[in-house]
Amino acid sequence: MDVEEMLETYFERINEIPNSDKFIQCIQCGTCGGSCPYGMGTLFTPRRMILAVRAGIVDEVLQSGAQWLCTSCFTCSLRCPSQIPITDAVIPALRELSLLEGNPPEELAAALMNITRYGNSFRESPRKRDRWIKEVDFEVPLISKKKKAEYLFITECFGAYHRRCKEITKAFAKLMDLLGTDYAILGNEERCIGDLVRLCGEFGLFEDLAEKNIRVFEKYEFSKIVTHDAHAYNALLREYPRFGFKKEVVHHTQFLYNNLEKLKEMFGKLDYTVTYHDSCYVGRRNGIYEEPRAVIKAIPGVKFVEMKRIKENALCCGGGGGGVWLDSFIKDHIKERPAESRVKEAASVGADVLVTACTLDVPMFEDALKVTGLEGQLEVKDISEIILEAIENS
Amino acid sequence: MKICAILRLVPDLVEEIEVEENEIIPFRYMPNERDEHAVEEAIILKEKTGAEVEVIGIADSENEADLDEGLGMAAAKGADKLYKVVLDRPTYKRCEIAKALADFLSDKNYDLILTGIQAIDSYAGNLGGILARYMDLPYIGGVVEVNVSNGNTIVKKELGGGLLAEYKLPLPAVVSVVSAERPLKFVPFTKLRQAMKKANIEEVELELPEIEGVEVLKYEVPPEPEITLIEGDVEEVADKLIEALKELSIL
Ligand code: SF4
Ligand code: SF4
Repeated sequence: MDVEEMLETYFERINEIPNSDKFIQCIQCGTCGGSCPYGMGTLFTPRRMILAVRAGIVDEVLQSGAQWLCTSCFTCSLRCPSQIPITDAVIPALRELSLLEGNPPEELAAALMNITRYGNSFRESPRKRDRWIKEVDFEVPLISKKKKAEYLFITECFGAYHRRCKEITKAFAKLMDLLGTDYAILGNEERCIGDLVRLCGEFGLFEDLAEKNIRVFEKYEFSKIVTHDAHAYNALLREYPRFGFKKEVVHHTQFLYNNLEKLKEMFGKLDYTVTYHDSCYVGRRNGIYEEPRAVIKAIPGVKFVEMKRIKENALCCGGGGGGVWLDSFIKDHIKERPAESRVKEAASVGADVLVTACTLDVPMFEDALKVTGLEGQLEVKDISEIILEAIENS
Repeated sequence: MKICAILRLVPDLVEEIEVEENEIIPFRYMPNERDEHAVEEAIILKEKTGAEVEVIGIADSENEADLDEGLGMAAAKGADKLYKVVLDRPTYKRCEIAKALADFLSDKNYDLILTGIQAIDSYAGNLGGILARYMDLPYIGGVVEVNVSNGNTIVKKELGGGLLAEYKLPLPAVVSVVSAERPLKFVPFTKLRQAMKKANIEEVELELPEIEGVEVLKYEVPPEPEITLIEGDVEEVADKLIEALKELSIL
């Protein structure tokens, strides 16, 4: 593609995304770059990306690789005085150009190819997506058998296949089992929900996934979706309605909060100092701040401490927006990855346990513990894991 | 200049494979990765020299649908013409495929025929050399870069241990590629689907000759490797590991 073609493709895409007309209102204030966890490591902060597009040198942005130095943390978008959809439009549309040129970072290209072929980024058989249910000591109902349920539980790819994230899936399913929730899973009929695919600029694949997923949803009777995957939650809540999906979507932190009275009756004591990490797509993007805090604080014995950067100012784990597939690329550009800075922050406020509410966080932070030497001092748990632990301690 | 790249299918190992005494039944097939590199290198040569690129996909009646994605990918990357060669029966014998293919290619006047150097179903890896023999053309394998100049192809070949050598072969020739000069180009979903819809694919049925030679006696699943987990602190693990390696006569 020459630059003219690139700009044409870019604006064609931008114009399809809600609120992108605000693009022209960029006042070049620099708030975005100043807020960005990668701001220091990139030649093109969002402000300079917009400037480059205006100046018609979009090819220079692509050559620099700056479009991949974004973890879709949403800080810039939230703080931008002109409310420009940087995270949902400005950057993914640049990434799309990079995909069309055929040369995204290799790890990310492989993940996208795997999702196209197998419906998951792990290069695993779609027919093994429900394997985790054989690893638990209670029955996990399949919607194909049950036909009807109040909640459809979406595990998403990490929750279904990733060695560590599967444990979170099991813990949350166990909680629903203990609460007597009327729920079911799609099992092998589930495929990638695709929020990371969208944020990576693979819009065509995202549309295909959304359409296929909705067709599967329509086969069954359920009233709400519940998920512990923050990105699946975001896509189902904010993007799927465009494709005709209109059901209520509940994040597992909200579900646990709604069941708090029942949970309290089951809680035993835990002797931990706990801090909570606001995951970008639970907190900043979707405004869920108080529910998880209320749930954690309700566990007897837990001492709750806050980190310095909390709620809308929380630091990203670095896994979102495809960051989880860009690790080696990102390592080449910055000295300290956000997850490393974040676990240090958690340790500095005296926490024994860093509680999160997004499946991506746990492996990102556990990896950071190894790098920073904090392994043994600090533990990372999903909110459903610490709750289950409190119950099992009773 | 006219180049062709051969694209074969191999069992997709992400899915389970059924192994019976006289046949192997994969759940599905996918393009052979080394052949995808051969296609990529052909496209790179097109970019360098303006050569015309034709991609020849090979399948049989049981797996021909699995070929469409690979051919669509080649079209999206810029292949000029696609053939879907459907063999009249499945065969594990590369000699039979090479012979049928040699006859098919004989009047196509390709200056260069590219194949992947190997395939996970190991039989397929021999195709390049056997094809060259049947076509009476020069052959070189292990190639990581292909160039053409003055009626020759100049290739870089891996010698192992990080060593590369440059060879010159007169055209036409058959070249087996280990990997293309650059990583495989990524093709976004929409572009792939459009290419698959628009692709000009000529379907050809090929009759396989019967060639005597190696016969399969039976297929069997290799025994599961024995896994021993060594636990303990670093010193203990090191001691136990040394002992285990001594027992295996490795140390
Ligand atoms: S924060 Fe918004 S207005 Fe300010 S430079 Fe960034 S994109 Fe432009
Ligand atoms: S979304 Fe986050 S990582 Fe991406 S540009 Fe904005 S502030 Fe930076």
